[in-house]
Amino acid sequence: MHALEARHAPVVSLWVWYQVGGRNEVPGTTGMSHFLEHMLFKGTPRHPKGDLDKLLARYGALWNAFTSEDVTCYFETVPAERYPVALELEADRMRNALITEEETNAERNVIVSEREGLENDPSFLLGEQLQAVAFSRHPYAQGVIGSKEEIKLMTRDGLYAHYRRHYAPNNAYFIVAGDAPASELLDRAAAAFGPLDAEVPIEPPKAPEPPQYGERRVIVRRAGGALPIIQIGHKAPRAADPRAPALSALAVALAGATAGGGEAASGRSARLYRALVDTGLATTVDASFSLMKDPYLFVVEAHLRPGVTHDRVEHVILDELEKIARSPLTDSEFGRVRRQMLSASAFMTDTITWRAWRFGQLLATGAAASLGGWYDRLAAVTAEDVRSAADSVFREKGRTVGWFVPEPS
Amino acid sequence: MDIRRHRLDNGLRVAAIPIPGLQSAAVLLAIEAGQWFEPIGRPGIGRLCALAMLRGTTTRDAKAWADALDGIGAAARLDVGSHAATFSAQSLGSDLDVLLELMADAVVRPAFAPTEVELVREQTVAQIEEDAKNTRAVAESAWRELVYPKGHPFRVRPIGDLDVVRAASADDLRDYHRRAIRPDGAVLVVAGGVDAEQVFDGSARAFATWRAGGTREERTVPEARLVTAVRKLEIVPDKTQSDVVLGWPGLPRTDPRFVAARVSNMVFAADTFASRVGHVVRDELGLAYYVFSTLGGSRGQSPWVVRMGVNPINVERAVSTTLDELRKIVDGKVTEDDLELAQDKLVGELDVARESPAGVASLLLEGEIFELGPDYAERYPRELRAVRLEQVVEIARTFLQPDRHALAIAGPPLPERD
Repeated sequence: MHALEARHAPVVSLWVWYQVGGRNEVPGTTGMSHFLEHMLFKGTPRHPKGDLDKLLARYGALWNAFTSEDVTCYFETVPAERYPVALELEADRMRNALITEEETNAERNVIVSEREGLENDPSFLLGEQLQAVAFSRHPYAQGVIGSKEEIKLMTRDGLYAHYRRHYAPNNAYFIVAGDAPASELLDRAAAAFGPLDAEVPIEPPKAPEPPQYGERRVIVRRAGGALPIIQIGHKAPRAADPRAPALSALAVALAGATAGGGEAASGRSARLYRALVDTGLATTVDASFSLMKDPYLFVVEAHLRPGVTHDRVEHVILDELEKIARSPLTDSEFGRVRRQMLSASAFMTDTITWRAWRFGQLLATGAAASLGGWYDRLAAVTAEDVRSAADSVFREKGRTVGWFVPEPS
Repeated sequence: MDIRRHRLDNGLRVAAIPIPGLQSAAVLLAIEAGQWFEPIGRPGIGRLCALAMLRGTTTRDAKAWADALDGIGAAARLDVGSHAATFSAQSLGSDLDVLLELMADAVVRPAFAPTEVELVREQTVAQIEEDAKNTRAVAESAWRELVYPKGHPFRVRPIGDLDVVRAASADDLRDYHRRAIRPDGAVLVVAGGVDAEQVFDGSARAFATWRAGGTREERTVPEARLVTAVRKLEIVPDKTQSDVVLGWPGLPRTDPRFVAARVSNMVFAADTFASRVGHVVRDELGLAYYVFSTLGGSRGQSPWVVRMGVNPINVERAVSTTLDELRKIVDGKVTEDDLELAQDKLVGELDVARESPAGVASLLLEGEIFELGPDYAERYPRELRAVRLEQVVEIARTFLQPDRHALAIAGPPLPERD
């Protein structure tokens, strides 16, 4: 349990990070962690279905949950005087969720609907395929939401067993940030979660990804999109790797600290924006290094202008990646990258919800033990570190290239 | 909140909300240059102009401007909505002067260089083509065509009409900029780790030369009125889910009934968990992953719509269930508990929004741009609390008639209807 004081607004944000996600699933049950996340909103004996929703709605809370490859996370940001109630709700559903047959079947349709909504998006379809091809053994290949067929086969008993095994205080991080003394925040959290029983410790999944010996490629053809898309993933180290801060800086150097379509004004000095968007080859481009427990992917994604070929854009991207791996950023470029990272850290710190989120993410993935520690490591990154990190990652042998090819209707 | 206000000689209104203890400042510059103010027959000219304003000025080319913005690590974007073109940005408080100067450079002195205009035109054309395969965008466009008569500013989405975008020249954009991008009616709100004097001095220095170019073009806007239920299905190939837009023309933000309408919207469908429709359609029946409604705020009849993503076989049931819930409200079968939940939610959200400088700036913006009074931030929660059940019913009967709705569906073919 960790507490952060943030006294600029009368608000408290609570986050529970369970160490379970797509990574902990095996074929036949993919999507189980995500399905379970939905079931945690269906009530407990003390707080029947609807209680949590209505209480949090009444507080005007910002609240939700998400599941990733590594974790399942629940959060509430509430007016400060309400946080003890939110705390009690989270502690209650950590061990006492009611997961009934009836609710499982009703929620199944919602999750299928969520999956179908994602399938409407060409970028999701391509990303799912890219991930599946990039990993041959590691469960990161499976993604998070699971296939529609597996969602339809998910049983109440399977979900409940998954819940009892993974939802326990010794398998979670709890982060609370907001308008109260840190000692008080911690004391209340201890009172809420302390009485809960621990479970048998869970061994991390043992399915290391074997070495890749050459580029892999995947093509998705569908009529459901007008613009061609390219995604290029390179195998990248885990969050705990010493290169992680430099890889975060590398993503900023390539595509800026904030993404966001034609309306976005920032990030336009980045290398890939200049090479692809300024030249009229693409409408958008993004680069991301995700903080993950196990080695994952550094992904570049570009949406091509109509009439521009995949070959041409792929060539430009690979050329830019090679350049950044060969020569350090110029002083002025690196200065902009550092300022973007510094500012982005401040923006995150100044929003209580995001301050708590960032801290939880660092802890849960093993990237750092404190916010300050992570920011110090980001500040210590040099232009040579960025080049060296790029050189270690942007290798043909770790590459997977995906094309989305729009087909005529 | 400690709100300080100031008006520049050119009419730009400035509001500053210092928040001690923060490092950053959020800046919102809202200019009355949204769809409502576009010339008749030119939908999309506003957004195109806004995007071109980000592509270089008379003092810095596009690359130099982008270098300077990224050089202070600011995050910024410029969006055109129904009422305003809103430049939203965030920087370190110590960089506020530089940020304001860069924003002013883009707003006051855009170059509209032909090559840059061509770039944003091609980007926009590509986006319009992409949107033609995006079920949410297709449903939204179809709904607008059902509701708003020809010549109405909201008949087309802000991205505009393909022909208008293709035809617009650099001179057209320059002309539109001169008339529409003006300080009178514009509002600058800054919240965060800054002091008020810094905001007022910085904005005065940055925006002092901004002048209105002539008078605003008057525009007569036809009334949008539904006389029956209307429906349109757009087939989008190779999609799995249908996106549904069900709605009505709304009411102006300046209408005295608007706050009651906002509460009614929350009772009806605004929130998946606090509203009746979300509770039934998602939670009880499991028909949709997302279902929520929005009520736009502008000087006109902005869309008041329910949006949902539904499997094609469930579309009819999800829509009829939504309308059934609405009928209950219209018939007065709405409880004090429904109302109280909606009011608690809306008032509570105001507290939670204070967690960030951007949230605080957003809280202020609506009251400032629609000139709802200097005490608006303090008064607004009380106004929400004062709404009575009879008003909710009356609003629904007036604006949300269940048998006079517009329904647009985009996605795979639907099963045969009985």
